Amino acid sequence: MATLSALLPPPRNSRAGPWYLVLACLVIVVAVVAWSAPLFLTPGNLSNVAAQVTPLVITAIGQTLVIITGGLDLSVGSLISLTTAIIVLDLPGWAMVLLAIAAAVTVGTVNGVGIAFLNVHPIIMTLASMSVVQGVALITRPVPGGTVPGWISGAVNGSLFGLPAALVWIAVAVVIAAFLIYRTRFGLHLFAIGGNPNSALMNGVRVQRNIVLTYILSSLFAMGAGFYLAGRIASGDANVGTVFGLDSITAVALGGTSLSGGVGSLVGTVLGSVLVGVIGNGMNLMNVSAFLQIVIKGALLLAVVSVQRRKQIGL
Amino acid sequence: MQTKLAKLGRSALVAFAMMGATSVFAEEVNLMKGVIPREGDDRMTTADQFKKPGPWKIGMSHFGLSNTWTIQMAHDAEFEAKNNPNITDFLFRNADLNQTKQVADIEDLIAQGVDAIIITPLTPTSADAGIKKAVAAGIPVIVHTGLTDTEDYTVDIQGGGNYFGRVMGDFLVKQLGGKGNIWVLRGVPSHPEDINRYQGLVDAIKGTDIKIVSEDYGTWEYDGGKKLCEAFYLSNPDVQGIWSSGADMARACVDVFNQYGAEMPPISGEGNNGFFKFWRDNKLTSIAPEYGPEQGAAGVRAAVALLEGKPLHKRYVYNPEPITAETRDTYIREDLSDAYWFPTALSEEKKQEYYGLKK
Repeated sequence: MATLSALLPPPRNSRAGPWYLVLACLVIVVAVVAWSAPLFLTPGNLSNVAAQVTPLVITAIGQTLVIITGGLDLSVGSLISLTTAIIVLDLPGWAMVLLAIAAAVTVGTVNGVGIAFLNVHPIIMTLASMSVVQGVALITRPVPGGTVPGWISGAVNGSLFGLPAALVWIAVAVVIAAFLIYRTRFGLHLFAIGGNPNSALMNGVRVQRNIVLTYILSSLFAMGAGFYLAGRIASGDANVGTVFGLDSITAVALGGTSLSGGVGSLVGTVLGSVLVGVIGNGMNLMNVSAFLQIVIKGALLLAVVSVQRRKQIGL
Repeated sequence: MQTKLAKLGRSALVAFAMMGATSVFAEEVNLMKGVIPREGDDRMTTADQFKKPGPWKIGMSHFGLSNTWTIQMAHDAEFEAKNNPNITDFLFRNADLNQTKQVADIEDLIAQGVDAIIITPLTPTSADAGIKKAVAAGIPVIVHTGLTDTEDYTVDIQGGGNYFGRVMGDFLVKQLGGKGNIWVLRGVPSHPEDINRYQGLVDAIKGTDIKIVSEDYGTWEYDGGKKLCEAFYLSNPDVQGIWSSGADMARACVDVFNQYGAEMPPISGEGNNGFFKFWRDNKLTSIAPEYGPEQGAAGVRAAVALLEGKPLHKRYVYNPEPITAETRDTYIREDLSDAYWFPTALSEEKKQEYYGLKK
């Protein structure tokens, strides 16, 4: 596997990580699925795939920011659940949005302060906050249900200029993240912190403040995914986000972002998320056994991570 | 003369209509023993409403193969489908306890052009959007083993969680003479089945002097139940009855009492081979509400009936008589493993293949 990786051309920007691997993988998977299941390339199914991957793309983008700094955010799934629970509260629209933002900023701030100032390990810190937020979500919405405001459902299930709304959500998330990562000093500092926090500190980077900001942004992206999911399932559900904690990390890792920090790219994360969605949709269309689907997903992750050089992915 | 003829004609029409109605009821589809039309709801599909010539492609979105019961329910559905020569494709999708995957699975089944979809929802809302999309696409939807918020489905078969919990609650009220302390072992937080079963208990003990002294979630698993009972025994050992929302948690609790050498109070169970053997061997005072995996087969039978053009009621309930110490031994299968649940539609050959104990 390591030999295969060495044979591949080096990425143009080593800071971006080997995102081209996931692109190659995606092309192969799309070709195989399209050949095996002609339904795959129909507009209806592609629209389904877009809708299915959108919450993962949005969550994984926020997760990418954190992972580039060398951190990890396991609390995103619980925050998604909490957001859906807040959305169906009997509140005016503006109050509901403010409450959701306040919840996300609070969770992100607590995570960031714990990690940056109290030196708690990111896994422990976000595992603890994941549990607390999950509990708050269950208290807020003990039983799935409630009514999602029409403007959210419309923004999720509608279309814009003939394009599914899902693509608009992805585009907005990507534009915001791309601006932050590639057009601001903050973005540059993320890579510096992930590469070597001590060195970044000595070069004048405000490491602690940036780490806190990164976790707040991760929470805000998770909140965005929560809005999308609430519109998609038309209800609030205190458990709906559970899988997104690990799935978002999987998508980021598939996209070539180093789990030890300092290396990563937005394009890789988007492609990694899409790959996860296409595999799920493709296996369904190809009638792959439900049991075998679980095996294939795990094996694919192992294969993609294995072809990355150990020092690149930090595992 | 004309009036007499008109009267005769009207009478003939009424008689004909009554004969028609009688023939509909005569053709009442037997989905599963114990499954009956829901009282007070006379909505039905019309004859030939979903009739389609075979072969059929039937899809099933299962909420998740998370324990032995859910796996057997999936086996029951698959077995029933494979034994129908008109079903050439049975597309089974496992949502893996993931709401968003269930939404995606249903979308994918619709895209694959199935003739009918069977859905076991994970939460009351996880399948609503999918059900609406399927119905809008003209696909009949059968829902069972889980509640939905929407009533857009075509047919719904529900084992009453409330009834299940109440049967166990009534049993404890009777055993305790309406007075005493009980522990409550619940399933999964926010799971609708757990909420309904618990509500059944609350209804049963309302107005009695029975007090819940300890209550927590054991996630319907042996390990979860054991942790709870160990903690409850240390914090509140003065207990006269135990209400358990699942058989594996009940078995775990009995093990805890055996471990402490304490006398086992009455405890509720469930229709599972392992629990029944345990019930008999430990001489427990227990009761088992029935919640059979055959519901998986019942869903397929409903889909087939609709595609054959038979009228079905919109809503069915599954509230069978509980299994008691008197009837328990007729269910026990020594030659099958503890993971076997009843009742089931599986053939003897399949029972042996999946659950047979190798000698």
